[in-house]
Amino acid sequence: MEMNRKDGTALPEGGVLEAPRRTLFQENWHLFKKNRLALAGLVIFIIFFFVAAAGVFLTSGIDPVFNPALVRLQEKLRPPLSKPNLETLKPEEVPTLGIYLFGTDDLGRDVFSRMLQGAWVSLTVGFVAVGIAVVIGVILGGIAGYYGHRQIRLGHLLAAVLIGGGTIGILSGRTAAGVLMVLFGAAVSAILIRMEDSKGRGPIATGLPVLFLNLFSADVLITGLVDIMLCFPVFFLILTVVALLPASMYNIMIVIGLTSWMGSARFIRAEFLSLREQDFVTAAKALGVSDWRIIFRHMVPNAMSPVLVSATIGIASAILIEAGLSFLGFGVPPPHATWGNILSSGKDFLFDAPWLTFVPGFAVLTVVLAFNLFGEGLREVLNPKLRER
Amino acid sequence: MGAFLARSAIQKFITLFFVSVISFLIIHLAPGEPSQIDPLNPKFTREVLERFRKEFHLDKPLHVQYLYFYRDLLAGRSVSWKDNRPVLKKIYERFLNSLPLFILGTLITWTLSFPVGIHAAIRRGSFYDRSTAFLAYLLISIPGFFFAYILIIFVVTRFHVPVIGMATFGLSQKGTLIPLMDRVWHLLLPSVLFAAGGIAVLSRYVRNQMLEVEGQDYVRTAKAKGLPAEKVHYRHALRNALLPFVTMFGLILPGLLGGSIIIESFFSWPGMGRMAYEAILARDYPVILTVNFISAILVLIGTFISDLLYMVVDPRIRL
Amino acid sequence: MGSSMNIQSSIRVPENGPLLSVQDLKVFFHSDGKISRALDGVSYEVRAGETVCLVGESGCGKTVSALAILGLVPQPPGEIHGGEILFKGKNLLTIDEETLQGLRGKEISMIFQEPMTSLNPVFTIGDQIEEAIMVHEAVEKAEAHRRAIELLTDVGIPSPEERAKDYPHNLSGGQRQRVMIAMALACKPDLVIADEPTTALDVTIQDQILHLFRDLKEKRHMALLYITHNLSVVAEIADRIYVMYSGTIAEVGNVEHIFRDPFHPYTMGLLASLPSRTRKGQSLYSIPGAVPDPAYKPHGCPFNPRCPYVQESCRAEFPEMCDFGDDHFARCPITYRRRKRPLNNEEDNP
Repeated sequence: MEMNRKDGTALPEGGVLEAPRRTLFQENWHLFKKNRLALAGLVIFIIFFFVAAAGVFLTSGIDPVFNPALVRLQEKLRPPLSKPNLETLKPEEVPTLGIYLFGTDDLGRDVFSRMLQGAWVSLTVGFVAVGIAVVIGVILGGIAGYYGHRQIRLGHLLAAVLIGGGTIGILSGRTAAGVLMVLFGAAVSAILIRMEDSKGRGPIATGLPVLFLNLFSADVLITGLVDIMLCFPVFFLILTVVALLPASMYNIMIVIGLTSWMGSARFIRAEFLSLREQDFVTAAKALGVSDWRIIFRHMVPNAMSPVLVSATIGIASAILIEAGLSFLGFGVPPPHATWGNILSSGKDFLFDAPWLTFVPGFAVLTVVLAFNLFGEGLREVLNPKLRER
Repeated sequence: MGAFLARSAIQKFITLFFVSVISFLIIHLAPGEPSQIDPLNPKFTREVLERFRKEFHLDKPLHVQYLYFYRDLLAGRSVSWKDNRPVLKKIYERFLNSLPLFILGTLITWTLSFPVGIHAAIRRGSFYDRSTAFLAYLLISIPGFFFAYILIIFVVTRFHVPVIGMATFGLSQKGTLIPLMDRVWHLLLPSVLFAAGGIAVLSRYVRNQMLEVEGQDYVRTAKAKGLPAEKVHYRHALRNALLPFVTMFGLILPGLLGGSIIIESFFSWPGMGRMAYEAILARDYPVILTVNFISAILVLIGTFISDLLYMVVDPRIRL
Repeated sequence: MGSSMNIQSSIRVPENGPLLSVQDLKVFFHSDGKISRALDGVSYEVRAGETVCLVGESGCGKTVSALAILGLVPQPPGEIHGGEILFKGKNLLTIDEETLQGLRGKEISMIFQEPMTSLNPVFTIGDQIEEAIMVHEAVEKAEAHRRAIELLTDVGIPSPEERAKDYPHNLSGGQRQRVMIAMALACKPDLVIADEPTTALDVTIQDQILHLFRDLKEKRHMALLYITHNLSVVAEIADRIYVMYSGTIAEVGNVEHIFRDPFHPYTMGLLASLPSRTRKGQSLYSIPGAVPDPAYKPHGCPFNPRCPYVQESCRAEFPEMCDFGDDHFARCPITYRRRKRPLNNEEDNP
């Protein structure tokens, strides 16, 4: 009987072919590649990344290659691929490529240049916002999952209030009182640490048992925080904060980040709770591996897959949120271009200058779609329950 | 079971308390003054400013303001700073406007998502599955207002359907049928928009749940017993796959307030979302805080209902 | 030498015909561009009323063959590449789905390996047993319920009336497996396929379940195809054994013959590794090497990389089944040549 490989070549006689070894990453990548849509998403993202990076260089500085801020009122609302009217323009006002690739907006600015400038904003907003969210989520979720059963005691609360209040006092000028409070807080912490070490024995411990009073566990604290944050309607909250704070790109990123960490926290907490009971963790502990190392080296890599998936989808939704905020007038302030505010400026010229809506609209759609496809592809690969075999 | 529910209820009240505190702090720690007492406005003299401040307790420390505010809110007495009307009344009016939009949108979402998702799971990998997947991603990725533009352009130019607002301005027809039809037409597009994103997400989730369940051992056992395919899919697999959706059912309640801000702005629909937006613009603190508070209550009630339903539906959870 | 050996490529079929006859079954799995040859031409049969054990290590394809009988192999990624499965004369691979559904649970039942996940968590066990009855027989719910309680008693579940209202998660693993057995026996099938039913259970429970099988078999005169990797279980209940290796049958015969005098080197290795075969103080024997990946099988005899008696001919071509007499066959011409039975008048050719 012939043992053939799929390509028809026969195995060497008497030879035993070993199955090729692949690392986990290679295995996953191989599976991922088969999903054409997801692969396309990744490719589009990479292209977008380079375009955005190039866009920053090409549009910044005093005399950029593509000038997004140059106002040419005589050229306003020109359609895409239209040639500039050379008679009315000064030589430095002529667009770089000789035509208005995506047309001009209501102030005669070159839409193509503005799109280039805005690409970086969309990218940054997406990544930084999600980055903040993931970091917060992983930290809080990890603590809840791993140290969840540790109790928060009255002493902890007292120390936190003292130190926190003291710091605020120092910062707002009341130095003496502030310093006093911080010192008190430090003392309480020191006592607590001594108490935990001596496990309730010795003169200090028995003297102040009230400090040791259990209030609630760390897990309850953190899940309570998650529940509270979940009560706020997200877009509404972002809108509120962004409207009240001075408008800036950083505020937007931070706010989106501060309001989207709950998903990651829940995932990580759930994964840590189940991983903590698994044998490989027990084995590591038995070997004397420190908690820190267990968490970062052993548990986090295993727990990251749902977070990765929600991060890629989070980037997509952060970009959409930024576009939405700009649309409502609360995005990054002019004259800096973002895809959202190009869309917003197009609102008034919907029928006269549809390209102001369609160009950024399609751009956002493509990038966000790419991210979503990539994220879904990741999810299919990383979730064994959804695989075919 | 009762003990669990009681504990859960207490937890929710505590959460509500913290939400009220935090939202209060966010508003008041932000720089700027509320609309009516704009110090830069020349119309306001010093005395007027002082009077307003006293009136709205703005001269008192924060925790006192907090108590005043929530006392008013819970008694139904809080008043909008923008137009001096009682907040609850304002909210209620807008709520009535938002409600049909919400109900129709949610209905469309839930009735379409399940068949689509289940069908896609049963015929995994088929053209149907892949094309619905792509469509779903498209719907999730499209910016809401962009999609709205496209819909509007398409619908208005092809069908001459009125779009903006809740009813055609100046419609003078008496009787009930024509105005009713008119309102339905106006309702249609925003509801479809409202539903679009929801269908995309929900149908994918349904599909994935079905797939996960179909791979389980007990589905194989059902087949091995000689059950016909419909019984295997719709009795054994579906019943398990639907479990998480029962809980999601409770969570649609908060959606009443949720993502409608953009839709309502776009279609000039006088609903709660738009009122919230206008309140933010005008720094109308009572309205903002009340809306927030109500939204929190909705979320908490929603999760409470979800917990309850979950306990009823899944025999493994009997606390 | 070659052609006059009494070689058979399929088992001799007795006159009255076996209940189940799997012939030259090939099942492949496609994934990732590779083809995994899970079953590479497997033939076995089960006669009415007998207990046949299909023995082999994990990954040798025994479960796949059982799934193939009931048409439960997912296709894709699986593919039935050839062969026949004859049950009472009908080829199960060619009949339509509806007829197959009629057979499943009624004439052929299957008990799976994982009792913890094989029952639907949202229906009571009484419900699930009744469903097994009502899908094949036109009885009222009350009658089905009565029979379900009877079945629960038969499989040794105490207080069956109360237990019937329980959900699977209220029962232990052993109890769940008993419920599975009850479901399998509900319509009095002629053939029960048990796929490693006790592997996931404690040894003490294992013992009880085995006893249960023996009792039930006696009472109901059903044929049992018992799949396992545990030789001690085989010794307890089998009439005949098929030893599988890497998707092919290595050896087949009566249980006593196989245990007393195995002919295939793999079977010899399996038996040698039983702890009872080792004297105190000696190290336990284990067959060197590992089971081949079904996508990368060696050329020739699949066992050749690990075989202590391997010769060039083993690597050159896939060996045929050799008849050692007394219904004992083994796929090893090397052993055959060494041991040749007196029934053969073959010259011994080294």
